[in-house]
Amino acid sequence: MAAAVTVGRAGFVSFRGGPLGVAVQVCRRAHAAAAAAPATQASARIKTFAVYRWNPDNPGEKPRMQTYEVDLNKCGPMVLDALIKIKNEMDATLTFRRSCREGICGSCAMNIDGGNTLACTKRIDTRLSKVAKIYPLPHMYVVKDLVPDLSNFYAQYKAIQPYLKKKDESKQGKEQYIQSIEDREKLDGLYECILCACCSTSCPSYWWNGDKYLGPAVLMQAYRWMVDSRDDYTEERLAQLEDPFSLYRCHTIMNCTKACPKGLNPGKAIAEIKKMMATYKEKAASA
Amino acid sequence: WRRRYCCGGRGWRGPEEAVSRARTALRVLLSKALLTRPAIACSATEERRLLACKIHTSPRSLAGSKAASLHWTGERAVSVFLLGLLPAAYLYPGPVVDYTLAAALTLHGHWGLGQVVTDYVHGETSFKLASTGLYLLSAVTFAGLCYFNYQDVGICKAVAMLWSL
Repeated sequence: MAAAVTVGRAGFVSFRGGPLGVAVQVCRRAHAAAAAAPATQASARIKTFAVYRWNPDNPGEKPRMQTYEVDLNKCGPMVLDALIKIKNEMDATLTFRRSCREGICGSCAMNIDGGNTLACTKRIDTRLSKVAKIYPLPHMYVVKDLVPDLSNFYAQYKAIQPYLKKKDESKQGKEQYIQSIEDREKLDGLYECILCACCSTSCPSYWWNGDKYLGPAVLMQAYRWMVDSRDDYTEERLAQLEDPFSLYRCHTIMNCTKACPKGLNPGKAIAEIKKMMATYKEKAASA
Repeated sequence: WRRRYCCGGRGWRGPEEAVSRARTALRVLLSKALLTRPAIACSATEERRLLACKIHTSPRSLAGSKAASLHWTGERAVSVFLLGLLPAAYLYPGPVVDYTLAAALTLHGHWGLGQVVTDYVHGETSFKLASTGLYLLSAVTFAGLCYFNYQDVGICKAVAMLWSL
């Protein structure tokens, strides 16, 4: 932290941690020391951001791209830092969601330079000749500017009943449901999902059939409860997907896995569901 | 809370005279019953109201039928079968393989195009039209291949002849 204090504006960096952050910090410190004697300011590194704007309060107004110029020397390293800087210093009407600024809440999911990702964990491309293009999540209804309407997404998540269900509830609350280490390991790579909707909104099937196809994020959570050894409703959960749309709109193009900012693999989870669908016992589902 | 954040944002930055009106509107908008897409997203303009779409909340199929997953299993089975059939057709060309190929290829194509139709053709009438068209196409394809097998040299020989061109 002491280093962060001495370098002043590079203080942002120290919070990010990780080897890269440290390297940048060291680099900045050396730079600051060299430039300390003359009073000259390091030349401004102006980066242009083109941001999607649309305001529902002005009826008839069409969506447009607005450009902002940000000096990267006076801005944190992530795209979210730039957006917050723009909102604080240039245009207070710019609207976007953000909360944790460390990739755990999923609020700031947006389309940056053509890819769905979290603005808080996406580094600003430092090539100054390139314009950074920022859009809301693709093919979603827009509430305002970069804020998409996730009502349908949340309703779909609710529809898969994302919680533990027991056939015998008489033991509820008496003692914990024990799980073996192997069974617990099946949930790794599934439970980490933060429901940012980056994967679902990168999926063409979800674009065309988002009303009926559940999408990768929700299906991966469906799978998370199917493979949970403590859950008693695996067959019912599978039977719920028995229609041409809920699950089978997935054609395994793996955009979801490519987009996931948490490095998870929804495409594989969906493939596992399809395998389970082929073998589960219908009797058990109706019982 | 996400929604409250963004709606709040809209509240502060509205024009002065709209602020109090927006606040009352907010109270109405934030009531739980109205937190659905048509109420929130389609309030702004007339054309968006027309876009109000259904939210997929309840499981639509509780029929207890395994039709969808059986269809998927069938598709995989035919694909794997075709993978084996193609080298077999090369090694042991003959009328049996010809007719099996005609059937398997037609079925594979029919199901594959069926997925395309389900993906892209929306609306009940146009979907029915497209599926009927697809059935006709597949039927004609199968009939054509069978005719070719019966009247002409057969699929295996025809593909082999491509190399002798």
